[in-house]
Amino acid sequence: MSLAPAHVAGVGMVRFGKYPADVTLERMALGAGRAALVDAGADLGQVDALYVGHVFGGPVAGQRIAAQLGLDGKPVSNHENYCASGATAIREAWVALSAGLHDVVLVVGVEKMTDRVSGGVRPDPGDLDAAVGYVMAAGHAMSARRYMADHGATREQIAAVAVKNHAHSVHNPFAQYQKPISLEQVLAARQIAEPLGLLDCSPISDGAAAVVLCSPAGLRRLGISGPVPRVLGVGLVSGSVLTGLGDLNAEDVSGRAGEEAWKLSGVGPDEIDLVEMHDCFTIAEIVRMEGLGLVPLGQGAAWAADGHTALGGRLPVNPSGGLLSRGHPVGATGVAQVCELTWQLRGTAGGRQVDGARTGLAYCKGGTVNGTDGGSVTTVVMTR
Amino acid sequence: MSLSSAADTAAPPGPRPFRGGLLSLEPPCLLGSRCTACGNVTFPARGFCPACRSVDGLEEVTLGTEGVVHSFTVVRQAPPGVEVPYVLAWVDLPGSGVRLMATVSGLEPHHVELGMSVELELTPFGTAGDGAELIGFRFRPAGVAT
Repeated sequence: MSLAPAHVAGVGMVRFGKYPADVTLERMALGAGRAALVDAGADLGQVDALYVGHVFGGPVAGQRIAAQLGLDGKPVSNHENYCASGATAIREAWVALSAGLHDVVLVVGVEKMTDRVSGGVRPDPGDLDAAVGYVMAAGHAMSARRYMADHGATREQIAAVAVKNHAHSVHNPFAQYQKPISLEQVLAARQIAEPLGLLDCSPISDGAAAVVLCSPAGLRRLGISGPVPRVLGVGLVSGSVLTGLGDLNAEDVSGRAGEEAWKLSGVGPDEIDLVEMHDCFTIAEIVRMEGLGLVPLGQGAAWAADGHTALGGRLPVNPSGGLLSRGHPVGATGVAQVCELTWQLRGTAGGRQVDGARTGLAYCKGGTVNGTDGGSVTTVVMTR
Repeated sequence: MSLSSAADTAAPPGPRPFRGGLLSLEPPCLLGSRCTACGNVTFPARGFCPACRSVDGLEEVTLGTEGVVHSFTVVRQAPPGVEVPYVLAWVDLPGSGVRLMATVSGLEPHHVELGMSVELELTPFGTAGDGAELIGFRFRPAGVAT
């Protein structure tokens, strides 16, 4: 089965960061949503529905946003898949457009974290992992230690991911951090979960991102005649229950999400020009790229250290700066990745532009579930 | 008055696992499920076999208490209310073919190594609303007396 693509008529973001309490979830969503509507040249009356991805926003956050944005009365739905929530909202919007239910929709990913999360995110208290002391950083730290032992990778090579992504962020006005950092700074940073330190971890952030997605009829409604970037497909898988004593970093869940992406989009992995990758931690970018099959097994850390995943390299990963630099307001991240791919595919990404970018992939992995290899994974394939 | 004084003097219920079906207090061990169709063992117990998807013939099984550290970290930052540092590990139970997550205690964090032998230890995991002590699990270096 092949679904029609969703056309990206407009995108918008508010800069991610740490904002005071009066910069509320609704206020940030309003800023990003308005920016996307302006970018699309769309009036409120031309929007059929609102899809909102968030985790900590509370009940009917999407409807609270609609009532501020001027989309009250429309179909509004809330989508929670932890850090893949925003991308999941995009997937549901794409399906609805393809089905003919709507022609112009607004998707908002938003999160207000700094006034309600401290010390790092963790699983739901009902999950067994939470009961034995699991925090997200610990899981990635154990992944990193095993990766180094299995593949001979060095701590410095893993840290190179943070150096690379922060170097990219210098050119991203929407990033929480826009300064380069040195390898020495990453290695000397305060330890969070050994061997990972503070600069191996994405920050706790506030922020919002929004996209206007259209069917061909929707583009006509908005008076858009030229070609615009398209979402060809959005894969979604969940972690499966692991059995036995296999490779801790097998990332079968990423492999399956990649297969979904290629199947739904008709694009092959060798056609991907750039990746917006869920680098919630440095090591995560490495093992997930390998799990997707975009980097050879065991070579991801060396690829980062050798510049193959930097701007101008063999396969640029996170030209935006990634979660490490852009920040990680969890529900907003997946939508921010699609904003970045849109700018890249339009050729308007400025100093962080990937030359000749034609096809891109955005990957999110959200949450953990005891005994499985992940919560949810989304894979968005876009082309210009 | 007599009712409340009776309640005041009643002994709290005895210790129990912090989650039903997770572990046995005597003998001290973890409980999993074993698929009688394919032999796969899973922890914690599930209502289906993740290897062959059978939902019939799953039986409770006690897991071996000897483990090997497959990977670990020293957690130095955690949400408020969680004391740091502590060692969190992936522990393989080779006799049961099961990998699980648990803390490792009973040694200095920098003495933990990949491949190190550890053994199961039951440990208090807080107190229930009825006053009963709740029992959870962790690992300690093998062969070290407590």
